[in-house]
Amino acid sequence: MKFWRRRADDIDEEISTHLAMAVADREQQGEPSEEARRAAKREFGNPLLVRETTRRVWIGEWVDHLLQDLSYAWRQIRRSPGFSLTVIATLALGLGATAAMFTVVERVLLQTLFYPEPQRLVLPAESGRRGDRESMPLPDIEEWQQREQSFEDIAFSNSAVGRSFLEGDAAAEQVGHYLVSTNLFSVLGVRPAMGRGFTYDGQKPFAHAGDEKTIVLSDAAWRDAFGGRKDILGRIVRISGQPYTVVGVMPRGFSFPWNSSRPQVWTAAHFDPSDDSRNALNALYKLYIPIARLKRGVSVAKADAELKVIQADVAKLYTDPYARNLVTSATVKPYGESLVKPEVRKALLALFGAAGVLWLIACVNVTGLLLARAAVRQREIAIRGALGASRGRIVRQLMLEGMILSTGGSLLGLALAVGLLKAFAHNLATQLKVKGAMPDGRVIAVLLALTIGSAVLSAMWPAVSSARAAIEPALRQGTGGQAGQSREQHRLRAALVVTQIALSLMLLVSCGLLLRTIYALRHAPLGFRTDHILVGSMAIPSYRFAGRDLTSDLYSPMLERVRALPGVEAATLMTEVPLGHTFNVTFSFSAQGNSADAVRKRDFRAQLRVVGPDAQKVFGFKLYKGRYFNEGDTAGSQGVVVVNRAFVKEFSQSNDPDKVMGERLMNLEKDRPAIVVGILDDSRQVSVAEQSQPEMEFYLPQLKPDSSLYKNVEGIAMDIVVRTDRPSASIVPEIKELMRRASPELANTEFVTMDQIVEDSYGNQQIMARLLIVFGCAALLLCLSGLYGLLTQLVAQRTREIGVRMALGADRGRVIWMVMRQAGRMLAAGALAGLALVYFTGKLVSGFLYGVGAYDLWTLAAISVLLLASGLAAAYLPARRAAAIDPMEALRTE
Amino acid sequence: MAKKESYKNRIELLQGTLDMLILQTLQWGPQHGYGIVQALRTRSGEVLQVETGSLYPALHRLERQGWVSSEWRQTESNQRARSYQITPAGKEQLLSDHSRWQQMVEAIAAVMQVSPAGGDE
Repeated sequence: MKFWRRRADDIDEEISTHLAMAVADREQQGEPSEEARRAAKREFGNPLLVRETTRRVWIGEWVDHLLQDLSYAWRQIRRSPGFSLTVIATLALGLGATAAMFTVVERVLLQTLFYPEPQRLVLPAESGRRGDRESMPLPDIEEWQQREQSFEDIAFSNSAVGRSFLEGDAAAEQVGHYLVSTNLFSVLGVRPAMGRGFTYDGQKPFAHAGDEKTIVLSDAAWRDAFGGRKDILGRIVRISGQPYTVVGVMPRGFSFPWNSSRPQVWTAAHFDPSDDSRNALNALYKLYIPIARLKRGVSVAKADAELKVIQADVAKLYTDPYARNLVTSATVKPYGESLVKPEVRKALLALFGAAGVLWLIACVNVTGLLLARAAVRQREIAIRGALGASRGRIVRQLMLEGMILSTGGSLLGLALAVGLLKAFAHNLATQLKVKGAMPDGRVIAVLLALTIGSAVLSAMWPAVSSARAAIEPALRQGTGGQAGQSREQHRLRAALVVTQIALSLMLLVSCGLLLRTIYALRHAPLGFRTDHILVGSMAIPSYRFAGRDLTSDLYSPMLERVRALPGVEAATLMTEVPLGHTFNVTFSFSAQGNSADAVRKRDFRAQLRVVGPDAQKVFGFKLYKGRYFNEGDTAGSQGVVVVNRAFVKEFSQSNDPDKVMGERLMNLEKDRPAIVVGILDDSRQVSVAEQSQPEMEFYLPQLKPDSSLYKNVEGIAMDIVVRTDRPSASIVPEIKELMRRASPELANTEFVTMDQIVEDSYGNQQIMARLLIVFGCAALLLCLSGLYGLLTQLVAQRTREIGVRMALGADRGRVIWMVMRQAGRMLAAGALAGLALVYFTGKLVSGFLYGVGAYDLWTLAAISVLLLASGLAAAYLPARRAAAIDPMEALRTE
Repeated sequence: MAKKESYKNRIELLQGTLDMLILQTLQWGPQHGYGIVQALRTRSGEVLQVETGSLYPALHRLERQGWVSSEWRQTESNQRARSYQITPAGKEQLLSDHSRWQQMVEAIAAVMQVSPAGGDE
């Protein structure tokens, strides 16, 4: 391209020189300069046309040669479809895996935030004895705002309590509802696409008079609920029954917090006198999450250092030593970084690395294939050289062949990537929150870069080496197919095969370890049954039932009808099933004082669950001591609570259940204490790989609508859980129909099997294991095909030698042994090198393993044996072909 | 349209001859494009006026074929100009062009001679 431009400039200059000379000549002959110039121009003709025709002289040649080389390369590719298809398929495997992984990595790790200059957005957070605390009381935020010089401005937000429903034109829809400071959008740097947004006068960023009941909608909420109607501004909309005036609609693509799955709405936070307090006791809903924008040119590190100094003073303002200990320091982190969990980042990078290794194997394999091909074509290339083709031309032509092949490979690879992403769509959505990931422009650009990279990598070397080859000996050689190949080249190809084996072993070992992990997870004692259970998570606009008992009015009658369905063994209600991750409530004691015992109590956190009758029948929870809930526990009877063994351990600092049995833990409502009547065996409630957490269970029929437990737990979320022998496809429509009749909103309830929930909770390991199976098998396939290809070629080349050996008395067994020995040497070398690599990757994968060590001997041995056995099997075919050589014929061929 | 056509025709007519004329001019010494036009005009007694639209593509074509080489030089009037020089290959080409042209001229002349002369034979 540069070359062309230079040429064009050259011609331009030549033309202007010509004109200048003509003018000078005429002036010398006495013509006035103006006239001379005009005459010279007239004489010269059209300079643009001259330039174009002259330039075309050069471009024409270039394009001509390119087209010639292209058509020649195409002919070559068409002539050996088997070879070409192998190369394309190999590259497609490598590129497809890499492109799919890159798509995911890009979506999760390199996501571009919608906000301008997102690198200046940071999350400041207090930290202390119990780690980082992302939400904090308002006075601390104000202190920061006044003193921190690095912040341009600081905003804050808080999600609304419970589940929020936006009443649209047609139906109510669950939305993410956030109470935000009025300067939030200006800190984020995004203005509403429609409307003014919240007003902010630079004072306290709370709702002002007249702004208390205003709302800003996200684009998705506006479109979903109101069909994108233009007259939305100024209208009254209702969030869970509360009226708000719409003052803005944010642009499409905007969300805050970033990347939420639901449509969002924002209302201005209201100032309440209790906001001015640092009192941690009633601050549960009075804590805000700050977000700040750094001044231009200020580094995160500087802001962090500055905030730490300020926080030392802020901490002194806490009078309660317990509370002070939780906020002794502060950190500032980039907002973008906070969006991806560290373990997810690690898992993704590890998988990306694995895809990269597969790509490397594919490239090595293709290099081997092209090398072999170059050897076969040495004679042809020599003839071209003898006929006058320049070295550069030969190299270019071979590179073009590589380009065409890798373009084919990348197109196929792209299709493969799409397929992979489709196949893993469920895992991606549940584990990485990546929905509908498809390779986009950037991925395609990277894919192209990889294509050119791999084309250059794999076509260049053989091209250069064969162009360098001396012409004469190649021409003198007899038959084309067995043209001489130097020892050096053989050694190189053997080294390539060994590399492939080593890399494949590495991938396969990682894959094996993760399979062992999944196996261990599957066999981890969950503490409850998971078979034949259907779970429906009900999202109901509970505000419509204000003052009424949802359980007795809605859930229980419906549950009765579900129980009556044929094939239903048992059915129950539960705020959240174990491993569910849809709704999480933790319980903490509101102890006073700072004695060691009080601190322990205040640190204590327990999972809170409200269960309905028959929960044990459905899940088969095992009781360790005491009793589970029964019909005798009613709204009027003694309040009871059931805890688990982890609770006993944490709460009483001992394993003695009697220390907890009969204990009054809390009040169900005023003056109605609940005593511990039973202790459950431990079960995995949070994740399969995590040990049991302390848990408290309450009984649904005991809770009244005015109790705080009802308001904060039962009235917000409820799962319906059904044990049935019938397949879900046949029974779910019947259940849904019953639910729709109970309340239309329930018709949208999604049902999943408990087995699926357990599967999804395996987390990153599941997707890692599955992808590694794909990558590992592909790697194995590639390295076997590489080994097979090399041996086949070697046998073909040694036909004569083998013939002589057999003529001199070598039997077939010896010949087979000869070939197998060669394969065995390569396999052993590759396996050893691979085990050395495993030493390093072991450190990388150890974090993802459960129930198996990174250097698990059984896995290493099994994978090595698998690789050696399949390698020898691949070698046996060429070995048999060698043994089948007829000595007479072999000797006669030349 | 008609004009374009005639322009095209002239290029084609001239092509072989123009290359030869350029090479011949360069035989007398290195020259730049403008100089070649002037030289051809004076040598032909003001009859041949080479179009720049034909001259420059021809020069570059000759260069591409390796019959002339070029470099940027300072002229007497201190102007930077691209100067063309004939190469050994160009000289060979000129010789063969010249002889072929000679044959052609003789052949055409023979055809074009008035018929009575033919009748004499």
